[in-house]
Amino acid sequence: MAWWCDMIRIFIWSSLLFILLASGFVGAIWLDLGEVFTQETLANSIFFELRLPRVIYAFSAGSILALCGLLYQSLFRNALMTPYTLGVSSGAILGAGIAIKLGLGSLAFGIASISLFGFFGAMLSVLLLLYLARFLKHSHFESLLLLGIALSLFYTSALMIIFYLGNAIQNDMLLRFSMGSLSIIGWNHPITISVIALVLFIVIYIYRFELQLLSISDEGAKLRGVDTKRVTLILLLVSSFAIGVLVSVSGPIGFIGLIVPHIVAKLHKKPTNKRIAKTALFGGFFLVFCDTITRAIPTQSELPIGIITALIGGPFFIYIIISRSKN
Amino acid sequence: MIKLDSLNINYNDKNILKEISLEIGGHLNILGANGSGKSTLAKTICGLVEYNGEVYINEKNIRDLSLKQRAKLLTYVPTKLEVYDEFINVEEFVLLGRFAYKDSFFDYSDKDKKIAKNTLEFLNISHLGSHTLSSLSSGEAQLVSLASALVSQSEVIILDEPTANLDPHNAKTIAKHIKGLKKYHQIILITHDLDLASYIDSPTIFLKSKSATYFEKYEEFYNEAKLKELYEVEFDGLVVRYD
Repeated sequence: MAWWCDMIRIFIWSSLLFILLASGFVGAIWLDLGEVFTQETLANSIFFELRLPRVIYAFSAGSILALCGLLYQSLFRNALMTPYTLGVSSGAILGAGIAIKLGLGSLAFGIASISLFGFFGAMLSVLLLLYLARFLKHSHFESLLLLGIALSLFYTSALMIIFYLGNAIQNDMLLRFSMGSLSIIGWNHPITISVIALVLFIVIYIYRFELQLLSISDEGAKLRGVDTKRVTLILLLVSSFAIGVLVSVSGPIGFIGLIVPHIVAKLHKKPTNKRIAKTALFGGFFLVFCDTITRAIPTQSELPIGIITALIGGPFFIYIIISRSKN
Repeated sequence: MIKLDSLNINYNDKNILKEISLEIGGHLNILGANGSGKSTLAKTICGLVEYNGEVYINEKNIRDLSLKQRAKLLTYVPTKLEVYDEFINVEEFVLLGRFAYKDSFFDYSDKDKKIAKNTLEFLNISHLGSHTLSSLSSGEAQLVSLASALVSQSEVIILDEPTANLDPHNAKTIAKHIKGLKKYHQIILITHDLDLASYIDSPTIFLKSKSATYFEKYEEFYNEAKLKELYEVEFDGLVVRYD
């Protein structure tokens, strides 16, 4: 391996680590290291009550998104498969939209109902997709992607009706949810999401050899002794639960699941079972990086994270499609 | 021993094989035209396809076996090695053949790794160990596929058209290996390559019109008249006539 490949790896990982460590100090108010660790200062409370939980939340959310991307791409053996390209995010937004339209979207209970409906929207769209996938031939995963796109369009149209019927306040809430946001207050969400990220990582790690075989081929895995149906179902259910909870809190944050597994694969050139931890870490670092950008750019209010990830992810998506067609 | 008992196979809502019953003591060649059900029969024996009737391998009904037990009993070498994971290398891929022997959760043992290494040496492809699968030629890929089957140390090896994509030189290498392996494994060979079938010299079944015709020795079908009847095409010196 050429020495410069190692240098690139060291540079990228150390830059991301630096951004992770610095992220909590960046924002509308830039914090001073000395003040942060002085008790009862504004900087101290901003850092420990707002920034640190947010960095932990962003890191865990990025890990979940990246792990789900790796999982879907390996299980379906297609570079474009993620819970988002398969319509899960649209399902979640539709769920949230229904909650808002039903008037459940106000006050403290309202916030909870948006999350709850968003969660069920994500879960139901995954279950519907899995149900429809039963009618596809095993080898036709391209059709699954088309199914996901068809479902996305359907959910979006249903959402348009809600927009059309909604009032200005409801529409504003819905629009903000659909842009994705990592704005959280307190430690409840960071703790929940980081526990879910950890559970997801452990489950995938337990099944890493089965996942490696499934990423070869379904038949190949079965012939070597993997109970492919059972393993696929367990992994999809756990990942859908993780995505459902995440989307319900933060709205959809697209493209992380698409970009990160590819970058890690190209960077390390290792088989699937040896990329799980690196993908989780890179996903975490990467979302913290994107989140730091949203806070570092001085605007009237903070840029939604979903816009930044989509701006980076969109061109990357095109790059993957073009490079795939070349092969 | 392979025993098929009133085997009926439907694949994609189409009846492929009907009421096949046969019992074969050792090696077997499966011949037949495209679409006659050769690969489907092989996949049925591996338990990959739904079927009616019973399939016994070495006295064991394959329905009663767990997936891991089945993997230890028989392996299937597909015509073409297709792998999504572009960064898995040959050594790592061959090692996957030991999955059925591995303790859940834990990594492959040193014994597994040694068996994989020895198998690569046996097939003279140790030098490919660190190459990715996507960088291999068709001939190399077929040897790697064979290595992956051998590490499972199964009693039965099913090869699905192993020489279909190979040049004569590589086809000869594979053919020699298959012949050599007959000493240690029960070989089920599916092929269109009549020279290969005669070289391997195993009892043969010919699939046609949803049923199977049995030939004990290849001389029984390896002549122009019989081949014409089976394949419905003119042969000239055992080579298909294109004029």
